Amino acid sequence: MKRSIIILAAALAIASMLAACGGSGGSSSGGSSATTSRGPITIWYSNNPQEVAWGKQVVAAWNAAHADQKVTGQEIPAGSSSEAVISAAITAGTTPALIYNTSPASVPDFQKMGGLVNLSAFPDGASYIESRTGAAAAQYKSADGNYYQLPWKSNPVMIFYNKAIMQKAGINPNNPPLATYAQFLSTARAIVESKAAKYAIYPSPASEFFQSWYDFYAFYAAESGGKQLVANGASTFADAAGISVEQLWRTIYAGKLAGNEPYTGDSFADGTAAMELAGPWAIATYGKMAWGVAPIPTSGGMKPTAIYTFSDAKNVAMYTSCKNQATAWDFLKFSTSLAEDKALLVMTGQMPLRANLTKVYPAFFAAHPPYKLFATQADRLVEVPNVSNSIQAWQTFRDAWTSAVIFGKGDVSASVTKAAADINKLVSQK
Amino acid sequence: MSAETSHRRVPELQRKAAAAPAPGGQRRWRIKRVLGEHPAGLLLSAPYALFVAAVFVYPLGFGIWMSFHHYFFTAPGAVVPHPFVGLKNYATVISDPAVRASFVHVGEFLIINVPLTVIFSLLLATALNNAIHWRGFLRVSYYVPYVTASVAMITVWMFMFNSGGIVNRILGPLAPNPAWLVNTTWAMPSIALYVTWKQLGFFILLFLAALQNVPDELNEAAAIDGASRWQSYRTVTIPAVRPATTLVVLLAIITGANLFTEPYLMTSGGGPNGATTTPVFLLYQKGIEQGTPDVASAIGVLLVIGVLLIAYASRKVTERE
Amino acid sequence: MNTSDTQRMPRWRRILTMTLLMLGALVFLFPFYYMVVGALQARRNPSLSGAIPWLSNLTLSNFSQINSAINLGQSLLNSAIFTGAVVVCTIFFGVLAGYALATLHFRGRGLLFAVVLLLQAVPFQLLMIPLYVMLVRNFGLGDTYEGMILPFAINSVAVLIFRQFFLQVPREMFDAARIDGAGEFRILRSIAVPLVRPAILTAALVTFIGPWNEFLWPFLITKKQSMEPLAVAVANFTQTGLAGHANPMGSILAGSVALALPAVVLFVVFQRYFTQTHASTGVKG
Repeated sequence: MKRSIIILAAALAIASMLAACGGSGGSSSGGSSATTSRGPITIWYSNNPQEVAWGKQVVAAWNAAHADQKVTGQEIPAGSSSEAVISAAITAGTTPALIYNTSPASVPDFQKMGGLVNLSAFPDGASYIESRTGAAAAQYKSADGNYYQLPWKSNPVMIFYNKAIMQKAGINPNNPPLATYAQFLSTARAIVESKAAKYAIYPSPASEFFQSWYDFYAFYAAESGGKQLVANGASTFADAAGISVEQLWRTIYAGKLAGNEPYTGDSFADGTAAMELAGPWAIATYGKMAWGVAPIPTSGGMKPTAIYTFSDAKNVAMYTSCKNQATAWDFLKFSTSLAEDKALLVMTGQMPLRANLTKVYPAFFAAHPPYKLFATQADRLVEVPNVSNSIQAWQTFRDAWTSAVIFGKGDVSASVTKAAADINKLVSQK
Repeated sequence: MSAETSHRRVPELQRKAAAAPAPGGQRRWRIKRVLGEHPAGLLLSAPYALFVAAVFVYPLGFGIWMSFHHYFFTAPGAVVPHPFVGLKNYATVISDPAVRASFVHVGEFLIINVPLTVIFSLLLATALNNAIHWRGFLRVSYYVPYVTASVAMITVWMFMFNSGGIVNRILGPLAPNPAWLVNTTWAMPSIALYVTWKQLGFFILLFLAALQNVPDELNEAAAIDGASRWQSYRTVTIPAVRPATTLVVLLAIITGANLFTEPYLMTSGGGPNGATTTPVFLLYQKGIEQGTPDVASAIGVLLVIGVLLIAYASRKVTERE
Repeated sequence: MNTSDTQRMPRWRRILTMTLLMLGALVFLFPFYYMVVGALQARRNPSLSGAIPWLSNLTLSNFSQINSAINLGQSLLNSAIFTGAVVVCTIFFGVLAGYALATLHFRGRGLLFAVVLLLQAVPFQLLMIPLYVMLVRNFGLGDTYEGMILPFAINSVAVLIFRQFFLQVPREMFDAARIDGAGEFRILRSIAVPLVRPAILTAALVTFIGPWNEFLWPFLITKKQSMEPLAVAVANFTQTGLAGHANPMGSILAGSVALALPAVVLFVVFQRYFTQTHASTGVKG
């Protein structure tokens, strides 16, 4: 037995050396010639049915005009595990040229892995991005000042409310009082007490790193007037704004105005919750429900035209496995042109990250007034910070949130201060 | 093992001494010295050995190497230094309270799961073995949970155990608040109960196979000697299935220590206040979601060492009696 | 079947045992039953009455709903190919390895057995990414059945089961054949393989369940939806595809039933053959 153990240990040691040599080495592929070459490419987009429809038509339109540079489109699962799929593909070198579902929170990691192409290296790279997206593009720059992603579309997070439930609770369905925290709480209590719905609002209480984007971050963006979680290498949320957001939600969970268990399905569409924090992509799922939209509340109330929110953006990145980067860049520009952005708007209801949307597509917004709210909100969006270890930072934040806010343990300020310190350490590591 | 081989070696050597002088047998004798008495065994087990080497030894070796370096996965062609950092990843892991907590949670799980599994699977296997009527239906019903995917069963279980679910409605005021899976005290025991229920069928199968190999004569002899049913069960049956018991305990500990699917699906993200994190769950989170496979590998190596120690200890205990 | 045991039991004890067994069986079956009922319900009903399949609430629409989101037929086919290949590989190579480990003495036997045990102890998640890189980058097996099958090709628990089985076979059977001059392969073919049939069924069942229910690895290795086995498709659907469905719980349960049913049916059909012949009968007389 002892001899077997020794032999096994030796074998493992040898295997690990060999593995290390094989794993870290690897010949460089493409190189500078890839930036100018053209040819067929593959792209990935999410499996949301409306986006698939958009994807198919843009690919077909391009292929009709460019038979020598065919684009093939593929869907990938768009769930919480899409990051795992993409990073595994980067490691294996099987990423497509473009992925139309790149989360800004993953960009620092993918960049560190050497998986992303520097878009600013294209002659018109930075200028195209900035002329399309305007001043908001600055939030998408990486630490070295270059763009490794093209800001594509956003889903500004606002409050949807169910008009029928509001009516049943005795609240004005066309203008429910949701501007200040006090109003929000009393509206929520009225809903639950009148049993018009089981919960007033029901953001997912699960502990995945991205869940905080839809409760805390949207409210913090509004309350703080547009601050990111981390700015200039330091956490910002241990300030008065952050603490008041956390205390509001702690009150909500303590008063059972929101559920603390994961809900299977859509609690808002089911009528279990009266309100939902979501972007315009959700409208397609509401069917016949009469719904209204309100901006995120702030503690003292603000003018709607000054309120910020979380962008929930999904961007496009070009990956280094691409051999025909010139084609990929051209296709990227084609798919984010005025016409294609309009198609995206019409087919999915999501907001292209284009400056002054309401002025660029006046006819659409005149015909669809509810979407206009999202378009005007789209001028005031906060993105996740582009920092190293961003996913770990968000996980740390979420763990602290579930403990202090959802389950009411410990003191809110202490929890926030500790989370801020932990995150400072994480983002300063390389 | 060494006692066994030395015990076998004596007749082996005698046989070899007898075989050696045969004229054409010199070469065969030498082959047997190098490759063992039955060199055909090498041939038979070669495909499996190769499979294990490729699928297991290489990735494990790589994982161990990663745990001693600062490493993250990179695109092919990206040149990034991976400096040797000695035990730094291990230090990070051991000093992280979340990781220590995950080991505690898995210990909690094992304490509930392993004894329940061994006792109930043996009892049920015995009862099933003696049942005459409805044997097919009974067997199927105890195995069905094992055969169904966790992915499928978990939705039902969560639906049954959520705050408005059927279990709480039956329990009424006795139901814990918050409900089972979001309750820091009850979350891990709920998962342990679920996993025990689900895997019992497999262990019943193992015990059934062992019980059916216990010859009737032994029990008959004990009965003739005047032993009661319980006595013959204790002195004949239980010792007779000891190899199966050892295997059941071993497998239950090993699969329990590697618990991942159920916490991942039932309490995504680590449960209420991180009450259901397990080492493998953290391994997945840190290695795959957060892009730090070096730290994750350190957790993995520590887990494997821990499991092997426990398995070794448990083997000593079950085989001593 | 230990008839001697049961005959010695007084009647009341037999009835008690049977009652307890039946109660236990019903408790074990209940979640499965609840899953089937939920899959057939038009509206989700979490109350106690929801456990009873009221005829007015029954429908097959959940199945068509989930079929429109994930192609049930194609996913089932992928699962079948993946699982079938693993079972065949495991039985073929596993019997050989189990037999060799149990009855033959060869250099490296102890080492191989130690490795088999060690393999059980190592969590798959630790091996996953290096394995992925090796199979996809070095061998180009991404999005293929081979890539899905390879890490699971030979199930070590099955090898342990075969080894366990052969250990319980008396050595005299093989030694007698050797003394008669039979070569190793002859012994394997004529004595070992016919003997091991009951264990093959057990091992096949145990092996079947792994790849049929596995979702993490095929999820990683396949990009195309047309290659995904059903377990992956259901897991994905549970996490992301729920929006826009009238009864999302019903759809998930319908997918779960589709995943569970073939396994259960196979099991029900084959469990009759688990009655094991006593190995000792070969030695008597």
